[in-house]
Amino acid sequence: MKTQSCVEVKNEWGIVAARQAGRSLSKEIGFGSVDQARITTAISELSRNIYLYAKRGEICLEVVEKPSKIGVKKGLRIIAQDQGPGIPDIRQVMVDGFTTSGGMGAGLPGVKRLMDEFTIDSEAGEGTVIKATKWLR
Amino acid sequence: MRIPILKLHQYLLISIQVELDDQTALQFQEDLLNKIHNEGSLGVVIDLTSVDMIDSFIAKVLGDVVDMSSLMGAKVVLTGIQPAVAITLIDMGIKLDDVQTALDLEQGLTKLQQELEG
Amino acid sequence: MQPYIISLLNNQRDAVLEQWKKELELVRTNNYLTSISDDVYENMNQEFMRFIISQVTTEQEEAKGHLSSFAEKYIQAGWPLSYFTQGLQAFRRVLLAFLSESESDVQALLSTFSDLEEWIDGIINQLVHDYTGNWEDIIEMQKLSLLELSAPLIPVIEDVTVMPLIGTIDTARAKLIMENLLEGVIEHRSQVVLIDITGVPVVDTMVAHHIIQASEAVRLVGATCILVGIRPEIAQTIVNLGIDLSKFPTKSTLKKGIETALELTNKKMIDL
Repeated sequence: MKTQSCVEVKNEWGIVAARQAGRSLSKEIGFGSVDQARITTAISELSRNIYLYAKRGEICLEVVEKPSKIGVKKGLRIIAQDQGPGIPDIRQVMVDGFTTSGGMGAGLPGVKRLMDEFTIDSEAGEGTVIKATKWLR
Repeated sequence: MRIPILKLHQYLLISIQVELDDQTALQFQEDLLNKIHNEGSLGVVIDLTSVDMIDSFIAKVLGDVVDMSSLMGAKVVLTGIQPAVAITLIDMGIKLDDVQTALDLEQGLTKLQQELEG
Repeated sequence: MQPYIISLLNNQRDAVLEQWKKELELVRTNNYLTSISDDVYENMNQEFMRFIISQVTTEQEEAKGHLSSFAEKYIQAGWPLSYFTQGLQAFRRVLLAFLSESESDVQALLSTFSDLEEWIDGIINQLVHDYTGNWEDIIEMQKLSLLELSAPLIPVIEDVTVMPLIGTIDTARAKLIMENLLEGVIEHRSQVVLIDITGVPVVDTMVAHHIIQASEAVRLVGATCILVGIRPEIAQTIVNLGIDLSKFPTKSTLKKGIETALELTNKKMIDL
């Protein structure tokens, strides 16, 4: 089963819309309040990055499954993609406290800690795709 | 959208009840500082009981508000941070080190009173 | 199963078993089974051989059921899986030796052997499957029981709560403890939480990190955390590892911690 829903992010309202979508989907899947907050926060960080650096892009959310001992394990995957300028040095942005926007520099490394799986794919001038997954406990 | 700021004697009380978007957060920062300036307030309690998410941007705005208010001579206490929000902030590595906290509005006010009245 | 193998087993059963038994003795020395008495091992071999021979003539579905109950019995008894897998490999070697003696046509030999191979692999696969399934169940159960150990939150007096931690703290448990802790602080409206680590055997950097994070989270929700029950050896490791706990109030015993908590909440104990 794979259902995907996407929210376009091109202004600040897109950030709010994306995290509202994440909040309701994570509740629907059955995440507890702490994981709901983690997922919503991760979406907020990722969509703000899109808005700040790429101007526009989209946040897609999908329900994912993997086999486990107790049957099937459900999870939520966030896919944040844009056709923006890309990230020149991925290692650098994953360092706590690194910022180019005057923020706290907690964004991407923070998202990585909030979620269970995290991958980042970026090419200068082509754009960025970030995938982050949280599994139901 | 604007967040209402209530005045109680020398204190200001704010309860954030709405989904905080960036604009609202920045507007709030400005409104609060103006109010502190106009009223000469000595203490501020910001209640976050209804806030279910604080990302790094909102955390920065809140931290800045605290620093700016203290520059203007008003102490700020944040109250009612939900467990899920606290855990998320810790996961993100955001500590809000120099921010005072209390369990709820009432204890927040008590804390301010204790500090201001010695 | 090829009738050829069945007839081979029928005609030369004793010779095959004799040979296989020799091989099983070798398995024993490789498998740390030497501490088992000769009688028990002998019985086990007999049982195992009888069972495998009986599998040959049984219908496939029925044989599967038999195999499962056979496996379950020895899983419970704690008999190692490698005894069976190596034993079956030995059985295959023995049969191959017999087959190649009695069959000169290479083509026929190969086809018989591939049948035999498939049959034995099937048995091995099922045994491995049953054994690993059992291990996974055990691990899952132990994980659950470890989580049940998780820290209770005990309100001692108004505004003051104690959380005794017992046992090793790993990341999964630390997360759960943190959630319990914060929910409890809100529920009991505690202003001070004492985390008692008397029952934590080792405090390494990771455990310290979890405790620091928990107390920072407690501060965010508006309460104060005091770390108590710091034994001398724990104090030594904390300092030797260079862990900075200076930001958190710490006390050596729960008693001293409660005294501090009373001070913080403007309370006092008086003798009557």
